[in-house]
Amino acid sequence: MLETLQLMAAGLANALLPMTLIMMFAGVTLGIIIGCLPGLSAAMGVALMLPLTFTMEPETGLIVLGAIYCGAIFGGSISAILIHTPGTPASAATAIEGYQMTLKGQAGKALATACWSSFWGGLLSCISLYFFAPLLAQLALKFMSAEYFWLSLFGLTVIAGVASKSLVKGLMSGALGLLISTIGLDPITGTQRFMFGHAFLAEGINVTCALIGLFSMSQVFILAEKKIVERARAAKFTDKIALTKEERKLIRPTIIRSWLIGNIVGILPGAGASIACFMGYNNAKSFSKNKEQFGHGAIEGVAGSEAANNAVTGGSLIPTLTLGIPGESVTAVLMGGLIIQGLQPGPELFTTHAEMTYTFFGGFVLVQFAMLAIGMLGCRVFAQISRLSDAILIPCVTVLCVIGSFAIHRNFMDVIVMFIFGLLGYFMRKFDLNNAAVVLALILGPIGEKGLRNALRASQGDLSVLVGSPVCLVLIALCIVGIFSPLLMNMFEKKVSGTTMAEADAELEA
Amino acid sequence: MKMKMTDIGVVVFMYAICGFFYYHMTKLQANSQTYPRFTIVLLFGLTTLYLLQMVMNARKYGITSGVDEVFNGFMVVQFFVCLVLSIIYLVMVKYIGFFVATIVFMIAVLAFLRVPKVHAAIAVVAINLLVYLAFVQFLGVKLPAGLLF
Repeated sequence: MLETLQLMAAGLANALLPMTLIMMFAGVTLGIIIGCLPGLSAAMGVALMLPLTFTMEPETGLIVLGAIYCGAIFGGSISAILIHTPGTPASAATAIEGYQMTLKGQAGKALATACWSSFWGGLLSCISLYFFAPLLAQLALKFMSAEYFWLSLFGLTVIAGVASKSLVKGLMSGALGLLISTIGLDPITGTQRFMFGHAFLAEGINVTCALIGLFSMSQVFILAEKKIVERARAAKFTDKIALTKEERKLIRPTIIRSWLIGNIVGILPGAGASIACFMGYNNAKSFSKNKEQFGHGAIEGVAGSEAANNAVTGGSLIPTLTLGIPGESVTAVLMGGLIIQGLQPGPELFTTHAEMTYTFFGGFVLVQFAMLAIGMLGCRVFAQISRLSDAILIPCVTVLCVIGSFAIHRNFMDVIVMFIFGLLGYFMRKFDLNNAAVVLALILGPIGEKGLRNALRASQGDLSVLVGSPVCLVLIALCIVGIFSPLLMNMFEKKVSGTTMAEADAELEA
Repeated sequence: MKMKMTDIGVVVFMYAICGFFYYHMTKLQANSQTYPRFTIVLLFGLTTLYLLQMVMNARKYGITSGVDEVFNGFMVVQFFVCLVLSIIYLVMVKYIGFFVATIVFMIAVLAFLRVPKVHAAIAVVAINLLVYLAFVQFLGVKLPAGLLF
């Protein structure tokens, strides 16, 4: 216990180093900009900025990625409040009350509520990150080769259903990713597999190039196929971006409830910030003493939604860091960043690399303060940025994709790989396949392969080794649950968001 | 839900991938075939499952082309011009260097998409400055200089 407290204190102190703080502030600012632009997503932002973290210390790099993640989730609320267009799906519920407040001339108050609630939601989620992550990591100590094989499949079943309209298509995407992950040298025998004479493929498909292509370059093609429309003018506001003592007191219980909701949703595989925001909003409405204000600019509605979606961030990192199972696309990208730094999710993060992990946790706490400061001070500037046209984003993002993929190995072939994955990602999105599943499969594929082959080698080819331990059986059961959980989550999301939107419309009409 | 004709393309693509990898897998040592074989069988099985689902949907609900849904609001000229310019950009980076290629590419795309000149100029300067500061100065990346210069 004392050792853990020492690690926590040391981690926080490490995160306070000037260079880390500068990078953290830059990451949060960048994240907010990416989040407030309706054409861009948090996952895309993290993927695009991944190469910039290569030369940094692993903990600094991870803190920057965490800062972009948190900043982007909060940034979505700015455009939701000011132009009634959520920057990210995680802020969809914020638009309901936030925009009504803007129409009433309370845009500054709505932004301050979003900022304050996001800060508390994110900060409180760090508590569960600190306390539950090491406990879950202990469980991973029981894993042997066969268990790692099943764990990789479990991770895939979880992510395959997320953001896929069809579960089978999601699983197909995962299987395609697994197949692509076999390109390169055989990890056991060292023989060439599917390399076709290209030496640069020896280490397999570069995950960062694939990430940039699948998430960022594909988004360029998505933007390019749509008619360029001028974005709505952001509402001008003259009221102060601040909350009174009474208002802070009013939203306090809502923030605490939304933190709990967001945290649980974050830990659950397959759920994410887009579900949490509606759950937080609904909960705020159910417990509010001012129900009649909902649909007309209720401050508690904004607080409920924003605290919940930011509470997801800390929660979703728990299964990602401990078991290597990201619950949504942005954490899959973050896990890619972790692995690129040479770190494997699991118990080693809390033993061998404990100092680095707790520095990241400390940084994650400080990110919330940076988000509060930048959010409060920079809202007016970000409001103008949120109007940036897709026509400008198209060439800018393309250039960043090219330089980002080139910077990895200073090899032009990586740019070509990124571009091919960009096209693949575009067509996958058009045909409802799942890009996140491909990325996760590229990461988990080699882990699963080593697990399967080592287990079979140890048992001299006896397949029963794959079902020989209780942990294996639990993981198989979880795979089955994982396959069906997205179906339930989708039904639940539709029900929650459908009810909320219908109620909001009815109230507006009334 | 009606079966979408466009999904036939997805199934054909997946089977083609399976066939391609299976053909090349057979040339590998027996030991190296284990995991690729597992993934090929998995993808083949799931694609077949999806095909069966499509057939069942077709019998139950009928067939729709799906083209309208997939390509709703698709700006053909805009998309292909942007795609071709991106490919030309990649070639240009290799031959005339990163910064020259980036300036030419950005001006071409921004002009084609009718971005006001002042906004376009700011975007070109900002991106080049960002790349220079972040990648050249901060990361020390040696950008492609180009074969012609």
